[in-house]
Amino acid sequence: MASLRGPSYHWRMTQLADAYITGAGAFLPGAPVGCGEMEDRLGRVGGRDSLLGRRALAWNGVETRHYALDAEGRPTHSNAGMCAEAVRAALGDAGLGPEALGFLAAATTQGDWLVPGHAAATHGELGGGPIEIASFQSVCGASLMAAKAAWQAVRTGEHKVAVAAASEFSSRWFRPAFYEGTALVDAKGRLRGEADYLRFTLSDGAGAVVLEPAPRPEGISLKIAFIDIVSLAGQFEPCMWAGAPVEGRADPLATWSFSGPQAAHAAGAVALLQDFELLKRVIRAWVGVYLKKVDEGRIVPDEVDHLLCHYSARSLREEIVGLLEKTAGMIPQAKWFSNLASVGNIGSASIWVMLEAFLRTGRLRRGETVLCVVPESGRALTGFMLLEAV
Amino acid sequence: MGAEVADVLRRLAVAFAEFEARLDATPLIRRLTRGRFALEDYRAFLIGLRQQVKDGALWMSRAASHIEEDHLELRSRLMRHAVTEHRDFRLLEADYVATGGALAEIQGAEKNLGSEALSAWMFHEASKPNPFGLLGAMWIIEGLGRVKAGEWGRLVRDRLGLPDEAVRFLLYHGESDTAHIGEFEEMLALVLPDPAVAERIVKTARVTGRLYALQIEEIGA
Repeated sequence: MASLRGPSYHWRMTQLADAYITGAGAFLPGAPVGCGEMEDRLGRVGGRDSLLGRRALAWNGVETRHYALDAEGRPTHSNAGMCAEAVRAALGDAGLGPEALGFLAAATTQGDWLVPGHAAATHGELGGGPIEIASFQSVCGASLMAAKAAWQAVRTGEHKVAVAAASEFSSRWFRPAFYEGTALVDAKGRLRGEADYLRFTLSDGAGAVVLEPAPRPEGISLKIAFIDIVSLAGQFEPCMWAGAPVEGRADPLATWSFSGPQAAHAAGAVALLQDFELLKRVIRAWVGVYLKKVDEGRIVPDEVDHLLCHYSARSLREEIVGLLEKTAGMIPQAKWFSNLASVGNIGSASIWVMLEAFLRTGRLRRGETVLCVVPESGRALTGFMLLEAV
Repeated sequence: MGAEVADVLRRLAVAFAEFEARLDATPLIRRLTRGRFALEDYRAFLIGLRQQVKDGALWMSRAASHIEEDHLELRSRLMRHAVTEHRDFRLLEADYVATGGALAEIQGAEKNLGSEALSAWMFHEASKPNPFGLLGAMWIIEGLGRVKAGEWGRLVRDRLGLPDEAVRFLLYHGESDTAHIGEFEEMLALVLPDPAVAERIVKTARVTGRLYALQIEEIGA
């Protein structure tokens, strides 16, 4: 038996190629929805106005967003359908047709089906012949998990054209039927904060990028320098989750399927929830991960020309910004690009929708770097992707 | 402030993040954040904290007495700091009594294993000439006040249904320590740049964090 470490191993090693983002696409359903119309669109839980909506909006800074629900609350698209639209747009931007696609890595928080995965649903909507697929289910960070798979597929030479796509249809989870008659609404008809906040935070849409082993012939491509994903789930319980009630949520045996769908729904174990006290701790932990990257020299703040982060600087508390500044870790706000205020927080799709909009501004120059930061509160994860314009 | 100060502050921030993760994983804090915290836990917590708080002003004074003439400004600051804090353990005792505990109990309690180790370490370091590494220890211990105390205080109060008078130490530190980063930065600038001092500050912070977490881990163990 040849040892894996022995000489026979080397002939099996492959030289890794570079990979480049050669196209980006976004899909946002319908017209932008202003803050005043949100509850008309989502519906009012128990017929009452939200208690926390204004505070949530003041904190997240979102002014308009998109919903794949019409004025009567009927779906205008599916999650997979939006994802397929973004894939087509990205391939089109790269000057390629759908037939060029070899590998599709798709991410979402909650697909249209429980089973099978989102990549299969997206391929189904996209149509076309056999391709390789991979599904990534987490929250915002699922985007970079998919990107890493697509990047590795191109680097190893297994695929010439790979797409990393992500989409969200959060709004369907925010309709009153997800909360009414459950433990999430108290005797006075008030919805728990853990549920209410998210209704004013997340919205719908899709984004995708095309990866190839060479830059596009014309225009700017983005060479991927690295994708680092750091999970702190070993030290945090779920912070944003669905599938377990607020109390006892850290116990896998307390999750929804053990009690069955109806009992779980009644217990408030189905809706999407966020623990805001825990989030404060998670944010500090994210900053710790980031500063460690700076300390190790993996991220050099002075060498970052553009920062894309789907957390707005204004939502980071003053003390965090102060800490970043004092530790030479802050990237000046003038270098931050964000379209969060106009397109909303689209979970895993956010980073691609933001990158697509950034590339359209035309402000990126060859030789400049773009750092993408994707924090995921789910169970405390954060991802970084460094790009170089070529 | 110089690049050296920013570098040390960054390494200290990373050390604090590691410390916080370790604390959150201790049985006591886990019970607190997951809603299984009982009054006995809080009393044991106050007893555990008292040892360290009582020692705090003492090791700080000792450190000040070992600072040589060319760093008089730092010596003054440590002395003032020690004066500000040296009665704080009385507040812990008052909190303890306000929960219905007996004063003699908290005053007569022994240090746990972690408190013994932490205390020995602090006095050992403070007895060295120019013990600048202790700035790292201050970062950890004061960071705890700045970042965690208020959050813990509110959790304890709300979970146990206690009045504010029984949680004054935690709530007070959550408020009063918020403005201290700037002061700390100035103290760092008094001893930096100096690569050996920078290393020592970061290492002292990490050791202190480990031992502090051990102290919390040993509460109620």
